[in-house]
Amino acid sequence: MDIKITDKSLRFFLDTQLSPQELAQKISLCGPTFDKINKLENDYIFDIEVITNRIDTASCQGIARDSAAILKQMGIKSSFKNDPYNEKSNYYKNLPKTFSFEFNQDNLSPRFVAVSLENVNIQESPEETKKLLSLCGLRPINNAVDITNELTILYGMPSHIFDLDKLASQKLIVRESKEGEIVITLDNKKNKLQGGDIIIEDAVGRIVDLCGVMGGTIAEVDQYTKNILLIVPTYNSTKIRRTSLYLQNRSLAAQIYEKQPDPELCLPVITKAIKLFNERSSSCVSSRIFDYYPNPPKIKKISINLEWINSIIGIEIPKQTVFSILISLGFLIEDKEKQEISCVVPSWRYFDINIREDLVEEIARVYGYYKLPSCLPNVNLAPEQLNGLFKTESKIKHFLSNQGFNEIYNNSLISEELILKTNLNPSKHLKLKNALSKDLEYLRLSLVPTILQNIKNNQGKSEEPFFLYELSNIYLPNSEKLPQEISSLTIASTTDFAHTKGILEVLLLHLNIKSLIFQPTQTAPEYYQNDYIAEIISDKKNIGYIGQIKPTVLHNIGITSNPTIIELQISSVIDSMMNNYVYKPISEYPGIMEQLTISSNLPLNIIMEKIQLTSKLISKITYINTYNNNHSFKIMFASSTKNLTQTEVNEIKNRIINNFS
Amino acid sequence: MAINYKETIREIRKNLSSDLSKVKNAEDLEQINTKYLGRQGKINLLFKTLPIKENPNIGKDINELKNHCKQKLSSQLTSLLNQSSSAFFDVTVPGIQPPKGSLHLITQAIEEIENIFCQLGFVRRRYPEVETDWYYAEGLNIPKGHPARDDQETFYLSEDIVLTAHTSNGQLREMEKIKKPPIKMINIGKTYRRQADTSHSAMFHQFEGLLIDKNINITHLIGVMDYFAKVYFGHDREIRLRPHHFQFTEPSFEIDISCDLCHGKGIIGKLPCKFCKSGWLELGGSGMVHPNVLKNGGIDPNIYSGFAFGWGVERVLMMKSGLNLPDLRLLYTDDIRFLNQF
Repeated sequence: MDIKITDKSLRFFLDTQLSPQELAQKISLCGPTFDKINKLENDYIFDIEVITNRIDTASCQGIARDSAAILKQMGIKSSFKNDPYNEKSNYYKNLPKTFSFEFNQDNLSPRFVAVSLENVNIQESPEETKKLLSLCGLRPINNAVDITNELTILYGMPSHIFDLDKLASQKLIVRESKEGEIVITLDNKKNKLQGGDIIIEDAVGRIVDLCGVMGGTIAEVDQYTKNILLIVPTYNSTKIRRTSLYLQNRSLAAQIYEKQPDPELCLPVITKAIKLFNERSSSCVSSRIFDYYPNPPKIKKISINLEWINSIIGIEIPKQTVFSILISLGFLIEDKEKQEISCVVPSWRYFDINIREDLVEEIARVYGYYKLPSCLPNVNLAPEQLNGLFKTESKIKHFLSNQGFNEIYNNSLISEELILKTNLNPSKHLKLKNALSKDLEYLRLSLVPTILQNIKNNQGKSEEPFFLYELSNIYLPNSEKLPQEISSLTIASTTDFAHTKGILEVLLLHLNIKSLIFQPTQTAPEYYQNDYIAEIISDKKNIGYIGQIKPTVLHNIGITSNPTIIELQISSVIDSMMNNYVYKPISEYPGIMEQLTISSNLPLNIIMEKIQLTSKLISKITYINTYNNNHSFKIMFASSTKNLTQTEVNEIKNRIINNFS
Repeated sequence: MAINYKETIREIRKNLSSDLSKVKNAEDLEQINTKYLGRQGKINLLFKTLPIKENPNIGKDINELKNHCKQKLSSQLTSLLNQSSSAFFDVTVPGIQPPKGSLHLITQAIEEIENIFCQLGFVRRRYPEVETDWYYAEGLNIPKGHPARDDQETFYLSEDIVLTAHTSNGQLREMEKIKKPPIKMINIGKTYRRQADTSHSAMFHQFEGLLIDKNINITHLIGVMDYFAKVYFGHDREIRLRPHHFQFTEPSFEIDISCDLCHGKGIIGKLPCKFCKSGWLELGGSGMVHPNVLKNGGIDPNIYSGFAFGWGVERVLMMKSGLNLPDLRLLYTDDIRFLNQF
């Protein structure tokens, strides 16, 4: 939560010689962060980031108290003054009741304080008040409304006023709203309620306040108002947050109420308000103070061991410093002479200080994080085997990138449209319950749809061929509670099939894979074109696919080239990798290289296998090209024990040719 | 008939000179080499005709001839090689390049981050990116209905299953895996948030550090954060801790790093620095692990303490000086003209 306060209003509670800039810089180190300082009209405005659990600092007095404690530890002279908790209140017990409140449930308001005022003279606020409000981003309205807003800035406790004469005030009911009830708020918005919002209904059944968020128009204070009902309540924070989020009305009051302000502030604030009303509108109190406070919180004490404090902060902080910090923040300390002290939590910290770690935070930050040294911990783990997944992923990425491929990061969330375009079934994908848009609705089951989209997106922008890859998790629904997250690689290239396949083969050689064959398959994912797709098999297990995409899918996406796509599952690749290299002796005898053309309509892998099986003296077969079923190869004949003669080679060549006749 | 060796040697010398005078290139020279010095060359043949018991002087003479021949050929070769080609050779001809390829900036950043923490003895982990409410929130001290849940803007797959908006789910998972500290891990993974603008992408990456042992304190957290900041961003950078609040750490900190542009001063010349907030940039959150989180992970908070941090990979990458990316979402473009720059 961000607030704006002025330097002057802060100094109403804080005595210090520091300049606004110095103040901002020093306090930011140990307390709330002063994001910005702006000089305007002889004053400074601070934009302050209030830490979520520190609603007590969403005000001038709160910032001032924290600042005084911090500056003291920095050795800078300063003091906290005009402490609202020292304010003495008068209950006006002899005055009559001019209104009455009823609470339908006891969980709506921890405390509710109200008073009525008479002879209110509505006019403009004094210049100084108007200036304060506008500097803090609030619009001055009239002296009455401005008092409530000014007090919110100063004390962090919202309050609200009604024109008492417009209310049927003999019975005001604080209750939960019913679904569909309507209230028109001061911003002239008609709010249709979801039910369960805190509201005030008057004796004739009108909703007069959307509690904690914004007042209703029915009893709006205007220039003719003479009698005012002033309330300083606190509300059930969860309900306020729910209402404010549902109606998208994030008023300052709502932002404060949803974070549980201190009920003990209600009386000091109403007392202060009465004073200001008297000063600025010459009004007088016309009722006793109504104070609904069914369950005042019990005193909260937290015990903490002084040695333990040091063990968490990492240096020894003198006992007296610990005491001085806690006391200046409003804690009371009991058992001061013992090792285990007991701290009484001040009312304004009641909800955020719960455990000893909370106290350590207070001590350490006010002492100054900046004073703590930087030490590397000496923590040694038991030996652990290197993680093969990260190593292999990294090896693959570096190999491909060095081979000229561009690595891409796509969003894991894709659209139904893209799934359908690639012949996949949306219902097999995991679907978000609360997607941000149709474009990002399903979790990917395959990296292929997005990489096809990547090809399309680059067409006409960069020169083809494209060489792309992505390595990322895919998310497969299964019978377990959580989906399987599978690290997958997809490669796309718009150069020809053989070159793309060659890259894959070298990649797998590079990874030292056990064996490798490509087997035509009918069971590949739907986007592959039948008869243009092979399973990649290593060690008798499928580790992925290589193939080309159906023309209809290419057309759906708008791809004009004919890309080759490779998919690999990283864990399967790892399973078929050999951990070690095994040295094979290199023959001393030079081989003889011969070119050979075979006529056959068998697939090349079968032809090459047949050639290989002809003789053990064939050490390498290299495919050259094919022309009308005539396949040319370079064949290396070699023996590890002797020099081969041409006669021997010719004999093997004849046997090869006979194999195919 | 006996050979007149002296005469023959003289003859060969003469022929050699004449042959050498006609040499134009290295091939000609190679032919002459074969003609005179080859296995079937003139000199070898001459050796072969030499009777076994011949005057040793003749053998000496032939050897001399051989050396003479070698020396002539070698000096001729040297002068031939020294002759510079008269043809214009354009060294400015553009090279024929294979495609450049690129490792994505995010991969580069992740590898760098991983390396830095590995130097400190952290082990890399990967924990679920789709997670149950317990590991993601409830077990991290964020009960149902807590306002911290709205702030995270989480994507839901079902009531109980989320796309993680932070990598902190790895904390409880690591505690369960290791069971007994010490724990020292870095979990890097994809995270998702229901928001998208110039500084947010619906998908991004985080790295989550967790260190738990006996006697771990705030100065250790500062030590590790400082080490990372100095190695990743530069040795002249400083860090500072500011108070903050997270449900799963207590105390909690926001870690700032001194601005590279204004060197932590907040002003350049007389103008306020446009890049930072008064000299400092927010790096990310961290804190001492909350005792409830330790308990939920099966670790006794009375014996062990620790710290954790979860920072954005893209964020630290964008903050690296010199990169100049105006919009974080550029990292998720598939435009090769962008990718090829790195």
